[in-house]
Amino acid sequence: MAIAGEFEPRIVGFLCNWCSYAGADMAGTSRISHPPNIRIIRVPCSGRVDPLLIVKSFQMGADGVLVAGCHPGDCHYTEGNYYARRRLAMLRPFLEYLGIEKERFDVEWVSASEGKRWAAVVTSFTEGVRKLGPRKAVKAEEASV
Amino acid sequence: MSLTEGIRAKAGELLESGVVECVIGYERGTDGVNARPAFVYSTDEVDRLIFDDTCSHNLVKYLLNRKGKTTAVVAKPCDARGVNLLLNEHQIEREKVHVIGVVCPGVVDSAWGSKGDKLRAVCEVCRQHVPPVYDHLVGDVPASEPEVPEPYADIEKMEGMSVAERAAFWEAEFSRCIRCYACRQACPGCYCVECFVERLHPLWVGIRIGPGENQMWNAMRAFHLAGRCIGCNQCEKVCPVNIPLSLLNRKLEKEAWELFHFRAGMAPDTAAPFATFEKDEKVGIGE
Repeated sequence: MAIAGEFEPRIVGFLCNWCSYAGADMAGTSRISHPPNIRIIRVPCSGRVDPLLIVKSFQMGADGVLVAGCHPGDCHYTEGNYYARRRLAMLRPFLEYLGIEKERFDVEWVSASEGKRWAAVVTSFTEGVRKLGPRKAVKAEEASV
Repeated sequence: MSLTEGIRAKAGELLESGVVECVIGYERGTDGVNARPAFVYSTDEVDRLIFDDTCSHNLVKYLLNRKGKTTAVVAKPCDARGVNLLLNEHQIEREKVHVIGVVCPGVVDSAWGSKGDKLRAVCEVCRQHVPPVYDHLVGDVPASEPEVPEPYADIEKMEGMSVAERAAFWEAEFSRCIRCYACRQACPGCYCVECFVERLHPLWVGIRIGPGENQMWNAMRAFHLAGRCIGCNQCEKVCPVNIPLSLLNRKLEKEAWELFHFRAGMAPDTAAPFATFEKDEKVGIGE
């Protein structure tokens, strides 16, 4: 549990239904623990992750955003993750260009059987964000929702 | 034959023969110095048309208002890339559009009643003086396109800053944004019937003019043009608070080139980077 006053990063995770979400489930059923900072949002496919969702997450105060999907070649919809890969490959350096550290946004491929790997990915991502501290430059949206 | 005469002659010919109903070109504005868009419907109006270095508008945007109607448009090379973009995205029909391409010497920035004395920044680094698509070409084709040793010097300077410096830079720039959406209205690539910024359910961008909302708008406007921006820089030109939008657009243009070796609008039939993929490519994601 967090010590009062200590920074706990808020991380949004977009997980594809078919691989990564099942992988996270596998981590759970295997009783593997990882930092609880990630809030998981289940999406049909990593190809569903519109860059809008990511920018909006940051705007609303997320300290980090993690997208996870099936490994290339394993997409349930055959090619959704290939499109996601291209889109997010452009988005990542662009976010850094706008002043959001590149450690705050990552994309990982996690299959349904990789519970252990999921825990490792979440742990290292969370620790990376924790090291950076809370996001300062971009103010969170206050009153418009 | 000067560019103006060449355009007038072709426009007259097209209207006379009934190939097009309207020619979109430039005419002298009411300040007597600058150019403004002109819509010419009959041969006796053809003499209004001009072309010189004040003709900085991208007239291709107007083709979107004339869908299904035969139209000729005067297009500089960057504007002609917009024609290719709209053809690629099935927004206009090739047979309805007659492109009067202009070999462009570059255009200047100008203010009301006065003309700038140097080329616009985007023209300084322009590597395309002959339109990539045209039906009729006005002007003399140069022997070769210019070599620009450092086309992205401004972007590299930005990339050299620390993340915190960049965050502060953009916060200051975006803080002036009044979200008038002039950048969107001027852009030939921004033609969505309902822009994400106007959607209420879900509400992507709050109505308040605040730092978060302004960043959201500017980031997503630029990103929706990733791999699509043709570099005409109309957005920056029309910005009433002078936000350097070219620094966003050109960053994405540079990335699209480095990652996918793609420049938007060079051909009407090349798939945009986000509309295609290669299975085994390495693009720095999930590796």
